[in-house]
Amino acid sequence: MIKLLRIEIKKILTYKIFWILFGLYFFFLACGILMAEFMINNIVDDMNRHLPIPFPHVAIYYFPDVWQNLTFFASIRFVLIFPAMIIMILITNEYTFKTIRQNIINGMSKAEFLASKLQIIFIMALFTTLVLAIGALIIGISHSGFDNMAILSKGIPFIVGFFISILTFLIYAFFLAFMLRNTGLSIAVFTLYSLIIEPILFTFLKSPYIFKNKIFEYLPVNAAISITEYPAIPVLKKVMGLELQPNVTLTSCLIPILNSAILIGIVYWVTTKKDL
Amino acid sequence: MSTILSIHSLSKRYGKIQAVDDLSFEVLKGQVFGLLGPNGSGKTTTLSIILDLIHQDKGSFTWFDSLPGKESRKRIGSVIESPNFFPYLSAYKNLQIVADIKDKTYDDIDRVLKLTGLYDRRNSKFKTYSFGMKQRLAIASALLSDPDVLILDEPTNGLDPQGIAQVRDLVINIANHGITIILASHLLDEVQKICTHVAVLHKGKKLFSGEVKKVLAISDSFELSSANPEILQKAISIHPMFQSSSQNGLLLQVYFKGMVEPGELNSFLFQQGIVLTHLSERKRSLEQHFLELLEDKS
Repeated sequence: MIKLLRIEIKKILTYKIFWILFGLYFFFLACGILMAEFMINNIVDDMNRHLPIPFPHVAIYYFPDVWQNLTFFASIRFVLIFPAMIIMILITNEYTFKTIRQNIINGMSKAEFLASKLQIIFIMALFTTLVLAIGALIIGISHSGFDNMAILSKGIPFIVGFFISILTFLIYAFFLAFMLRNTGLSIAVFTLYSLIIEPILFTFLKSPYIFKNKIFEYLPVNAAISITEYPAIPVLKKVMGLELQPNVTLTSCLIPILNSAILIGIVYWVTTKKDL
Repeated sequence: MSTILSIHSLSKRYGKIQAVDDLSFEVLKGQVFGLLGPNGSGKTTTLSIILDLIHQDKGSFTWFDSLPGKESRKRIGSVIESPNFFPYLSAYKNLQIVADIKDKTYDDIDRVLKLTGLYDRRNSKFKTYSFGMKQRLAIASALLSDPDVLILDEPTNGLDPQGIAQVRDLVINIANHGITIILASHLLDEVQKICTHVAVLHKGKKLFSGEVKKVLAISDSFELSSANPEILQKAISIHPMFQSSSQNGLLLQVYFKGMVEPGELNSFLFQQGIVLTHLSERKRSLEQHFLELLEDKS
């Protein structure tokens, strides 16, 4: 396993496009997180112009809400699509350069090849989660100070939930890249599906007049990104009638994990059966 | 001699096209084995199957007398089709990846880079290489840490004459070191120059296989002349292998049923009191043989 990781790191280390995209991802992630409060309050100001009793400004960077808010913003599909693209590029490159063939010829097994890509996904998800956790801690402390350890334990479920969000989202990208084997095509299909097709499907299935079940909860992308379902912003409850999410539930974590396990199984089955 | 590769009635079909058709052959240690056939005769498909890139429909194969797998592939060095490397990595880094996969150290990288004349450019990115250099890097990668067998698929394809000469010298040099080589080519003179054994493929079927030396040694005619053509004709017609003859200007063209050595023929005639003024062997080249085989089958 260490050997596979060493190979994978060599493939990435001097790959400029990877580092540019990875850097951009963190840049936009940081911008989004730091500007979220300002932007939400802009909307609040807009609304207040038409209301007799104005809403108060929101504050999203205080403990313990900062955990839920940051993991919510970081797991928005428009944000997660960035690392997903990186993964799809890394995988489909192997087909474009035909280096997957060369790796197999040289004595790698197909299972090892898949494992090496899953390792990178795991590390990328872990790294992003750590950065987010440290970021949330710093932002939280700078806004509300550090008084007890309880504020940390409150954050752990959301941080673990985010890790599962990004991990499973990236595994969907892994699945599509191995199925389509083409950079442009897999990015286009993935973007189209996760940003447009599934949200439409979701709205349609959720409409209580059409379906009386909770099938929408199982839509893969939605399941992955909804572990932190809403930000902890009280004003939303009043405006949109949303229930505030008290904590991350086990079910919401298990659905995307199960989805990803099935997709990894399909990738394994197809890749070992199909000619290269 | 130990068996390197053994293929048993391998078949692969792509839709309507039977790419490989009931193919069997064996490669023994130390052989330089040529897979000869026109484009589309199933050479690359066969090599792709034995390297586990594609699945055969029928048949089986073994490497080093055992079932194929990733461990056997680590003992094989191969150059298949175009050179496949990461364009943004240097030659050196690309070879490090190859060494990692094969569970080998990096000690041998400098040697193979020097051998293929790429040492000075080892830190240049692969994408900056000319086609000839890319091809040589592929060979360097195949030679890394002394494989037990080398597979070369059209190694001189797309190279300029100088590059072709370099690659051929390299291959002959490697063969002289006792490394078994399997070489696929559509070029007859390439197989003639490099290989010890050959299997001729056409439309996925094996037409013929054997030692290149034997194939080349089939002499189907001699051109003879002496002071008296009529006596010569009479004398030659009693040779035990004689088949037919025809007068061709001053030269007598003689066909035999099998192999006849020129020295033996000369002494046979000399014993009958004939001194030859001209004796030349008309070898049937692999090329002619190949074309004849193709004509027979179609």
